[in-house]
Amino acid sequence: MHPVIRLTNRNLTISLNKGFLIWQVIFPLIYIFVAGFAYTALINSVPFGNKTLDYPAYISSGMIGFNIMNSTLVSGIIIWNDRRHGMFEQILAGPFTRSQYILSNIYTIGIVGLISAALIAAVGYPLFFKSAEFNVLTIPLLVFASVTGSILFGSIASIISTRLRSSEGFNVVINTVFLFFAFVSTAFYPAEGAPPVLSTAFYFNPLTYLVDVVRAGIFGSFSNFVEIEMLILIVIAFSLFSIATKLLSKLEL
Amino acid sequence: MSCIVANSLVKSYGGIVAVDGIDLSVKSGKIFGFLGPNGAGKTTTIKLLTTLIAPTSGTITILGIDATRYPLDVRKRIGVVLQQPSYEPTLSVEKSLEKYGMMWNVDKKTRRDRLEELLSAFNLQEIRNRKNEDLSIGQRRRVQVAREFMHDMELLFLDEPTVGLDPSARRGLLDFVKKKVKDGLTVFFTTHILNEAEYLCDEIAIINKGKIIAIDTPDELKNKFGREKTIKVRLQEARKDLPNLLVGVRDYELEFNSGTNITIRSNDSEEVLLKILQILTANDIAIEDLSVVPTSLEEIFLTVVKNSNASSD
Repeated sequence: MHPVIRLTNRNLTISLNKGFLIWQVIFPLIYIFVAGFAYTALINSVPFGNKTLDYPAYISSGMIGFNIMNSTLVSGIIIWNDRRHGMFEQILAGPFTRSQYILSNIYTIGIVGLISAALIAAVGYPLFFKSAEFNVLTIPLLVFASVTGSILFGSIASIISTRLRSSEGFNVVINTVFLFFAFVSTAFYPAEGAPPVLSTAFYFNPLTYLVDVVRAGIFGSFSNFVEIEMLILIVIAFSLFSIATKLLSKLEL
Repeated sequence: MSCIVANSLVKSYGGIVAVDGIDLSVKSGKIFGFLGPNGAGKTTTIKLLTTLIAPTSGTITILGIDATRYPLDVRKRIGVVLQQPSYEPTLSVEKSLEKYGMMWNVDKKTRRDRLEELLSAFNLQEIRNRKNEDLSIGQRRRVQVAREFMHDMELLFLDEPTVGLDPSARRGLLDFVKKKVKDGLTVFFTTHILNEAEYLCDEIAIINKGKIIAIDTPDELKNKFGREKTIKVRLQEARKDLPNLLVGVRDYELEFNSGTNITIRSNDSEEVLLKILQILTANDIAIEDLSVVPTSLEEIFLTVVKNSNASSD
């Protein structure tokens, strides 16, 4: 078995515990079914491209992107835990290179991201099926969003984990950063109608692009703008991945 | 054949030299002890030899492989128990051993067999289902050492493996290592507990301030540095005039409280003893007990490090 697969297997074993699954499934379910329907009284419908979506359909598709981002916390947690509990050094004293360690983390978050996306898509399907327009681009766009989003947000989590040693520091920074990404984005509400400063800020946030790609896949609204958003996601993901790799390679033992 | 060869090995961090031009040659199938006070450079040397860090200069050959050019090839053939604890908090003892074997590409059946062998050898049966995060420091250390034996290796680095272990667990671990060495394993072993090194090691190097200051078998080290012997004489009863009687005799101490215990500590202990015995016999002073305290590795270690510090100052 290839070393990266062995490390990925180990990463999945230590990551997929009850707590994580609850975080990944229960938390989005509450958002979709409780917040989704509760907010319907305030937000009756959301204009989306040339169609109008009801709010539960809008939020459940947004939750797919949100969940991809959330699942990448795994990467930061794995690296941070490995450093804190001595496994980072132990693994690198074994038959593995740093690149293999980094790659295994990317594979892990990719797998967790895909599972999360599929899970939320399945759960949210009854809510968005009326407006859904599946076509040949649906699956490729969802896979693109899962993989690029995993690399992008996983790299951010990895960067944070290489810079911080205390658990308090790690939790505060990671939660603040991800909270910003979650709420200053189009995952929960559209940019149109928000104050101009806020709606502009939405587009300084990669989660907005990620969610747009997911919605383009589900609601058949692929456009040139989405194409540009995908390009931007690739560039940001590649840049952040390079930085994360460099920081991990330089991490002193 | 030597399985570790290091020549003029240097590691410096900024202006601080942690390892200062050490030369090492460790023979296959032996246990090599590496002793030194805190901050002497033991762990840095282990990190260099296990390819975790690169040397500033010098060469390292491990199992015939140039370790600076082919670190991965070296790491595939060695085992390392680092000084710092390493564990996956959420995994059970059994699962962490099993997963570690998987990480080393050990086949399933061998993993299962080794798991049972190690759980029993390291007395981990009762806690096999307990999570690592719920274990005591000593139990975690036992798991960490046991885990390393899940995979095949030709050379094992043990960096203070017995820290936190109770005496019986410590002895069990040392005996297990001895058994593995009989089967052909080579061990590079660092410890602060010097009677452990004496019990286990075929050869010992003492490092201080990044330099190796002594290297030999435990017996030869004793011959070289352990000429000073300690002899204890206990008298049947105290005599107030004893200090006056012993005037002119050097290298002895009389215990102030009892007045009956004389300790001779000298390079010429026998000669001093003879003089004292003559004085005691001439003055009708009866001896209750006489004993020779063997030179321990600890005393040699302290002497060698003290001499090294004095010469470097």
